[in-house]
Amino acid sequence: MRLHCLRTCHALLRKWSAGVFLLAAGLLALPAASAPSAVVVTPQVRAELLAHAPAGAAAGQPLWLGLRIEHKKHWHTYWKNPGDSGLPTTLEWTLPAGVTAGDIAWPTPKKLPVGPLMNFGYEDTLLLAVPVTVPAGHSGRTLEVQLRADWLVCKEVCIPEGGDFVLSVPLDGGVPGGADAAATATLFAASRQREPQSLQAGQAQAAVQDGALVVRVAGLPAAWQGRELAFFPETAGVIANAEVPQARWEGAVWQARIALDPQRSEAPTTIPAVLVPAGEAAGALVAVAVTSAWPAATSTTTAPGADALPALGAGTVDSSAGAEAPVNTAPPIGLAAALLLALAGGALLNLMPCVFPILSLKVLGFASHGRDRRKVLAGGLAYTAGVVISFVALAALLLALRAGGEQLGWGFQLQSPVVVATLAALFTLIGLNLAGVFEFGSVLPSSWAAARARHPLVDSLLTGVLAVAVASPCTAPFMGVSLGLAVTLPTVQALAVFAALGLGMALPYLAVSAWPALARAMPRPGVWMQHFKVLMAFPMFATVVWLVWVLGQQAGIDGAAALLGLLVALAFAAWALGAPALGSKARLGFGSAAAVVLALAVAWVAPALKADAVAAVPATAGTDARWQAWSPERVAAARAEGRPVFVDFTAAWCVTCQFNKRTTLADAAVLQDFDTRRVLLLRADWTRRDAVITAELTKLGRSGVPVYALYAPGNAGPRVLSEILSVAEVRDALATLPQQTAAR
Amino acid sequence: MKTMFTATLLALAATASFAAATVGQPAPAFTATDTRGKTVSLADFKGKHVVLEWTNPGCPFVVKHYGSGNMQGTQKEAAAKGVVWLTINSTAADAGDYKAPAAMGAWMNEQKAAATSTLMDADGKVGRAYGARTTPHMYVIDPAGKLVYAGAIDSKSTTNPADIPGATNHVKVALGETLAGKPVSLASTRPYGCAVKYSSM
Repeated sequence: MRLHCLRTCHALLRKWSAGVFLLAAGLLALPAASAPSAVVVTPQVRAELLAHAPAGAAAGQPLWLGLRIEHKKHWHTYWKNPGDSGLPTTLEWTLPAGVTAGDIAWPTPKKLPVGPLMNFGYEDTLLLAVPVTVPAGHSGRTLEVQLRADWLVCKEVCIPEGGDFVLSVPLDGGVPGGADAAATATLFAASRQREPQSLQAGQAQAAVQDGALVVRVAGLPAAWQGRELAFFPETAGVIANAEVPQARWEGAVWQARIALDPQRSEAPTTIPAVLVPAGEAAGALVAVAVTSAWPAATSTTTAPGADALPALGAGTVDSSAGAEAPVNTAPPIGLAAALLLALAGGALLNLMPCVFPILSLKVLGFASHGRDRRKVLAGGLAYTAGVVISFVALAALLLALRAGGEQLGWGFQLQSPVVVATLAALFTLIGLNLAGVFEFGSVLPSSWAAARARHPLVDSLLTGVLAVAVASPCTAPFMGVSLGLAVTLPTVQALAVFAALGLGMALPYLAVSAWPALARAMPRPGVWMQHFKVLMAFPMFATVVWLVWVLGQQAGIDGAAALLGLLVALAFAAWALGAPALGSKARLGFGSAAAVVLALAVAWVAPALKADAVAAVPATAGTDARWQAWSPERVAAARAEGRPVFVDFTAAWCVTCQFNKRTTLADAAVLQDFDTRRVLLLRADWTRRDAVITAELTKLGRSGVPVYALYAPGNAGPRVLSEILSVAEVRDALATLPQQTAAR
Repeated sequence: MKTMFTATLLALAATASFAAATVGQPAPAFTATDTRGKTVSLADFKGKHVVLEWTNPGCPFVVKHYGSGNMQGTQKEAAAKGVVWLTINSTAADAGDYKAPAAMGAWMNEQKAAATSTLMDADGKVGRAYGARTTPHMYVIDPAGKLVYAGAIDSKSTTNPADIPGATNHVKVALGETLAGKPVSLASTRPYGCAVKYSSM
C-alpha cells in the first residue's frame, strides 16, 4: 500500500510541480502591467502617438501631435459623423499647464456601406492630427504628453477599444521622432493632403422641400465640374446616409436633392459638409446654410380623432413592393384638423372689434335693400371671393418671402412700424366715417361713386378685401396653431389653410345673403340704424389706441406722438374734404389748409418710422424685475447649472400674448411655483423683426407668437405649452420638473 | 450582365423601401415569428402601448445595456405599466454573430429579460420597414398605432456602462409622457449602436 502511494504520490507531486512551474513561468512571461508607451497594439489595430514639428520642437514653435491608427485589413474606425451606426474616435489630452491642444484635423472620410446602411470612416492607415500650442514662455526641456484615446473598430462585429499613450517630446529645437523622423514627417504631410479644403463662406445653401434637402454649392474646384460628388455631412441625424443624392451640375454650381432621414432628429441652421469626387484624396469643406424652416415632425402636431387612421392591416410587410409604401410628408389628419380650425378661427374673426362694425353694417344693409335674391347672393359670393383671395394673397406673400430667405412669421406685417401706422390711419378714417364726420361719397370723385353703383359685384369684392386688411391685427386665439402648421406644409396645402380661414370669415355674410330667412330675421331699418352706425365707430377708435400702443413699443413715445399727430391731420383733412355740410368755398379753403397740415404731419412721422430710428429704441416690452431678455446662450447656461428655464415668446401686437401676460403669468400661485423651483424667466420680444427669435420659433415648430417653452435642466427638448395658457397647465408642467434639492 | 442589372434594380428597390416609418405617422404593420415558433403581429396589441427594441447579443452596445441590467430594468418598468415589449433580432442568418431562435431565446432567459416576446426577423423585413439601423434602436407606438418615439435608448452614446446612471433614458421618459396622454417632448433622437446586420436582398 505504501509503495503504491509512494509511486502515485511521486507522480502527483511531479505533476503538481510541473504545473506550478508552468504557472510561475506563465506569470513571469506576462508583460508586467505594461507601462504606458506611445504604442498600443490590439488584434485589430496598431495605434501610435507621434509628434511632428516642421521647424523643430521648441517653445513658441508650431507642434503637431497625431495618433496613427493602422487597421488590419477590412477593419475600420469612424469619422466625426460615423453615419448610421458606430462612434467617432475620441482623443483626451493631458498636457502641462499653458499648453493647449486644438481639434482633430479629420482627413476626408470614406463611405463604408453595411448592407442597406451607410457609415463614414477610415480603413488602412489613418492619422488623426491635432495642432498643439506651446507658449513662447514655456519652461521645461521636454513636453510630457499623455493621451487617452477610445475608438470603435468594426469589421462585421464591433469592438470598443482604447489605450493610454505617453510621449516625451524634447523641446530642444530638434526634430522629434529620432530615426523615424522623416517617415513621420511624410505621414503628417500626406495626412495634411487628405484634409478637406475649406471653401469661402456663403457659397452653399440648402432648403427643405418635400422630405429632401435641396443643396446648391458654388465655388468648387473647376476640375470637379461634371463629376459625381459624395456628400458627407458633419452633422449627424439629418440626411438619409445610404441614399445617393440626385445631383447635377449647372455650369459651376453643384445642385443636389438629398433625401432626409424620415426619423430625423436634428434641425440645424448650418450643416458643415465635405464634398469629394470619387477617387480624390481630399474633399472640400463647405458650410451649408439652411435657408428654410424645418418641418415639425414630432407627435405634438394636432391629430384629433385617432380613429380616422386607416386600420392597420394584418399580414407581412411586403418590402419588395416598395412603391406601395410612400413616405407621407404632410399628415392628412393634421391638414383636415388645420382646415377646420382655420374655418372656425375665421368665423370668430367677425366678432373682433376690427371687423364687427363693417360686417354688421353690411349685413344690416340687407334689410333695407329690396333687391332680388340672386343679386344679393351674387353680392355675398363676390364678398367671399374678395376675402378668400385676399387671405391667399397675403399667405402667398408670406410664403414667398420665407422661401426667399426672410425670417418671417405670422404677424410679420405688424412688425413693420410703417404697416402699423398705415393700419392706424385706415382705422381712424373708417371710424370717422362711421361717426359721420365725413362721407366717402363727398371725398371720392363722383365717377368713382357711379362706378360703385354700376358694378355692385366689384364693390362687394373690394369690401371683402377691405375686411381682410382691417382684420389682420386681430388674430383670433387658435389661428396661431393652424397657421403654425400651415407654414410647414407644402405650398398648396398651406394656401388651402389660409383659404379656409378666409372662408370662415366670409361665412356669416354669405349665410345671410344666401338664406333670405336670415335676412328677414334682421331688424327692420329705422333711426336706430344711424345711432348704431355711430356706435360702431368706437370699437374702431379702440383698435387705433391699441395700434398706437404697439407703435409706441416699436418706435418709442416720440414715434407714437408723431403718429397721433398724423391721425389728427388726417381727421382734419377728411372733414375738410368730405363733411357733407360744408359749402364748396369752405371746402376749398379748409381743404388746402388740411393738405399743408397733412404734409407737415407726414414729414414729422416718416423719420420716426424709419428702420434705424426704430432699432435705436430700447425694447421695453415686459421687462420687469422677474423677466429677463432671452438669448440662446442664457438658456444653455442656466440649464447647464441645473436651473429650469421658462421662455415667453411674445410681441406687443399679439393680443393673446398680452392677455396671458396679464392673467396666467401674473397669477400668484404660478409665480410662487416659479420661485420655488428657481425657474429662470426669459422673455423673447418679437415686436420688431428679429431673425434669431424667428429661427428659434421655427426650431420649436411654430411660426408665430405666443409660444411658451419650458426647458428642464439637462439636454432634453423643451416642452411647448398651449397658446391660451391656463394656470393649471403651467403648474402641471412645473410639477413634472425634477425636484430641486435645495430651494432658496 | 443581365443578373447585374436585375441585382442593381433590386438593390435600388431595397434601399427605396428602407425606412418608411416616420414619427407621428401610423407605425408599419408586421408579422413575425418569435423564438418559440409562435406567430406574432403588431395588430395583436392594438389598444396597448408597444415598445420595439432592436437587439443583437454580440454587439458591445447591447452588452452595455444588458450587462448592467439597464435594458431589463426598463423592460420591467414598462411591463408593470401594461406596455407590450417586443425585442426584435434582424441579424441575417449568414452573419457571423447570428443566433438561431432557440439560442436567442436562451440568451434572453439568461439575461433575465422581461420582454413580452422575442421576434426573429432574419430576412430583415420588419427592420427595413422601421428603418432600424443600430442595435439597440428603440421605438414606442401608442394604442392607436401611431409611432410616437424613435431613436436611442438613452442620451450618452458610448459603450461604457458607467455612463448609464448619468444619462437620460429616453424610452422611460417617452413612456411616462405618452402613458399620461401627453405628447412626447423628444420624439426623435439619434440612435447609437452597432449596425443591424441585414441580409442582402
